[in-house]
Amino acid sequence: MQNDIQRLLNAANQIILGKERQIRLAVCCLLARGHLLIEDIPGVGKTTLAHTLAKLLGMNYQRIQFTSDILPADIIGASVFDSRNHEFKFNPGPLFNQMILADEINRSTPKAQSALLEAMEEHQVTVEGITYQLPEPFFVIATQNPSHQIGTFPLPESQLDRFLMRIELGYPSPQYERQLLIGQNRHQLIETLMTVLAPQQLQDIQQAITSVHVSNALLDYCQAIINFTRDSTEYHCGLSPRAGLALLTAAKAWTFMDNRDAVIPEDLQAVLAAVAGHRLRSANNDSEAIVAPILSKVPVH
Amino acid sequence: MNRAQNKDILIFLLSSIGLIVLPHVLHLHFAVFGFFCLLLAWRFVGIWKPEYLPTFPWIFLLIVCGTAILYIQHRGILGRDGGTSLFVVALGLKLMEIKTERDLYLINYLAFIVAASQFLYEQSILMAAYILFVCGVLLATLVFINSHVANTTVALKKATVIIAQAIPMAIVVFILFPRVEPPRWLLFNDRQEAKMGLSDTMEPGSISDLGTSDELVFRVKFTGVIPQPNQRYWRGPVLTQTNGKKWWQATDLSYLRNLDKVSYSGQPYQYTLMMEPQEKDWVFALDMPVDFSSPLQRNANYQLITSDNLRKRSEFKLTSYPNYNTGDLTKTELQDALQLPGAPSEKIKQLVIQLHGYDSKPKDFINALLRHFRQEDFHYTLTPPLMEDKPIETFLFETRHGFCSHYASAFVYLMRVAGIPSRVVTGYQGGTFNEVGNFLEIKQADAHAWTEVWLDKEGWVRFDPTAAIAPERIEKNIDISRLTQDGLIQFSAANEGAHAAFNFLKQARQLWGHVDYNWQRWVINYNTANQSSFMSAFGIKDMKTMVYWMMGFVGIITAILSLFLLYQKPKPVNRTLLVFNKFLKKLAKVGLTKNPGEGARDFAERIKPELPEQAETIEAITSAFIAQHYGSRPTEVKFRRLCRLVAAFKI
Repeated sequence: MQNDIQRLLNAANQIILGKERQIRLAVCCLLARGHLLIEDIPGVGKTTLAHTLAKLLGMNYQRIQFTSDILPADIIGASVFDSRNHEFKFNPGPLFNQMILADEINRSTPKAQSALLEAMEEHQVTVEGITYQLPEPFFVIATQNPSHQIGTFPLPESQLDRFLMRIELGYPSPQYERQLLIGQNRHQLIETLMTVLAPQQLQDIQQAITSVHVSNALLDYCQAIINFTRDSTEYHCGLSPRAGLALLTAAKAWTFMDNRDAVIPEDLQAVLAAVAGHRLRSANNDSEAIVAPILSKVPVH
Repeated sequence: MNRAQNKDILIFLLSSIGLIVLPHVLHLHFAVFGFFCLLLAWRFVGIWKPEYLPTFPWIFLLIVCGTAILYIQHRGILGRDGGTSLFVVALGLKLMEIKTERDLYLINYLAFIVAASQFLYEQSILMAAYILFVCGVLLATLVFINSHVANTTVALKKATVIIAQAIPMAIVVFILFPRVEPPRWLLFNDRQEAKMGLSDTMEPGSISDLGTSDELVFRVKFTGVIPQPNQRYWRGPVLTQTNGKKWWQATDLSYLRNLDKVSYSGQPYQYTLMMEPQEKDWVFALDMPVDFSSPLQRNANYQLITSDNLRKRSEFKLTSYPNYNTGDLTKTELQDALQLPGAPSEKIKQLVIQLHGYDSKPKDFINALLRHFRQEDFHYTLTPPLMEDKPIETFLFETRHGFCSHYASAFVYLMRVAGIPSRVVTGYQGGTFNEVGNFLEIKQADAHAWTEVWLDKEGWVRFDPTAAIAPERIEKNIDISRLTQDGLIQFSAANEGAHAAFNFLKQARQLWGHVDYNWQRWVINYNTANQSSFMSAFGIKDMKTMVYWMMGFVGIITAILSLFLLYQKPKPVNRTLLVFNKFLKKLAKVGLTKNPGEGARDFAERIKPELPEQAETIEAITSAFIAQHYGSRPTEVKFRRLCRLVAAFKI
């Protein structure tokens, strides 16, 4: 299984150049059944990443462009009167796909945001009293523009908490940027990609990850981290129990990708910035900087 | 992060300092206190607006101001007031320059000194409780500064635990540490608040409202029988000289050596008398004190005086006999006891004749006079009309309203007109019995004046004309403040509920009085003498044994506390971790230390390039440790292997 994952990573790295760590985190998030939030300025490859992953995983993919006038029905779908059968028929919206790219989610109003976020949490939507199951696996990659840009509605903490990870892509290094400039069109490249990990395989891996061992010593470290964020004056509020669970799940997936069967502190540290960065309110917006005090001050035993 | 700039710490520190200096508002001059408050407020503002804090020239100016205030108020820094003001001003000035963590500690210790200086002014149980509380807050501030996780509740809890642990030690040292009395020249004579008390003169005509103060004067604990209320006469100054308006003590008391030997009879009363601080050197013993020890002396008026300083609380063991005979009069005594300001008026003479003052035995005249007070329209009141001119005549024939001093002075005057030697005695009468603590409390309101008449074969005999007119005052010992202007008594005719509430209040008051008595008796007044008598009750006779006992107790308490602290955290020691720590120690010797937040794997990767020839062993140990510590199947075999690897590891 790990070989498949490695192939997936290699293929993705061919499309998005010089972002091995971010791609690894994105795949880790997917394997841990979590949703991913990518925050960055437009044009650094957020959409390309989402598209690449969808293609490599053989999922049916749908992009929803969030705008300030998008309505919940545009996302979920709506009941339309069928004049032939004289009844209302539910027309599923773009949400009924395995991989959703919610582009520029913070450009829409809170009402539309919450329609998506509820579906993310429950894996189902209810329209006019009827509950519709969403396809499995269900994976949302949301992209968001930095909140200092014009025309954004920042996601509240409670909704940020629904994303397992938040990553930043950043500009490519000059060397990779040069390759990008002289290379083929990315869209064409994506079209040539073959499925590396079928949805069934993905579900098997997700199942296997749950059996990764977590020792007491590691739980001690995990709790030490959570307690530190709650007691320290560095943060306005500490990590929630849900955040703790998320941290552990992500670390397990990371361990699995590294072909090991027990989580070690380094795994927690590797995913900490991505998992905890958007959950800890701090003066700084850079995830790595936000969690730096935790990494340096919480002792590993 | 610089702790000296941490807002939470500063708010906590400044608030606790405010609490500490607060009671000084009662003692310090308002200029000093105001100066301090200004600095504190300034510093508070400075927490949020650091740019408002004074720079060096301003601090210098403030220092000059502080010094000037100190100099103007106290002309120096010696003495209690000067010294305390110095500390308070210095504390305030130091607040202006909190730059490093060291300054925080310095301020904290200064604050402890200021907290202790409260005891130079007040030693009551409430103040002690307050200071203990304040010290707790100060300690919490120290905890706060030292903890990386700043949390008020946790800091306060920790400080409380520390104080609770220190209390047994403090008690042992308090009881067993040799008490050292400071030499007299060390006691600075600072101005004391002048206390209202008995004076050595009496001028009844010029008083129109006798204040009744509830302030405690002294307490008495009897070791046997307690005398009846009508026997409780606590003797103070004896006033023999008068000018018709004012009465005062005779200055020449040198006839002491010519006095007859006093003979006593009846049931002796043994008691311990504890005087509250006072200005005068009088000790109010029960009439007539017989057994007393130095520094007490009995003067020619049979009044006890002390050569010791009564400005602090003092305790005396006394014995008094209710029946006594002072024998013959000396010449001076007779002269004093018959002294009159001039010839009496016709009206007075007429009254004396009418009561057979000139032509009957002294005793008959006394009885006739007392009967006259009782039967004629005389009233006892605490708010008599003013009698500026000829007070005695006005009182006897016109106003006829007065309190003990009026009756005593009129009585003595009439006696002297009839040629019978007599004098006014002042002091206290009665006292409230505290049923909880089994002692008498004598308050300022119990101040009284009565008379003594010299009778042949009997010596000086006490007569109380007030008892004739207001027997409730003497016999039932009813609080005189509850008598109305007309001499009638306001018995609480209120309903039962109010009565019960009154009783409850009375009991609560008595309980508090008892607690306060024991505080004064056992804590404040625990001096060398009290300590040695207390210790001898346990068979500890000399200081050496006492010090041994103290060291023994301190040792035992330390041992108990250490055991308690050791067993408090039975940390489950992880043996895998212990072995790995040994490995880390070996590496630390060559300067390769693991950072606290660094995992074993990262550490191994970091040090492998430093020790290329050991890289394999390091890898083996790290893998074994990770497998055992974090792995899903730790086994004894793996653990042994790790032990072997670490033991074999050498640099």
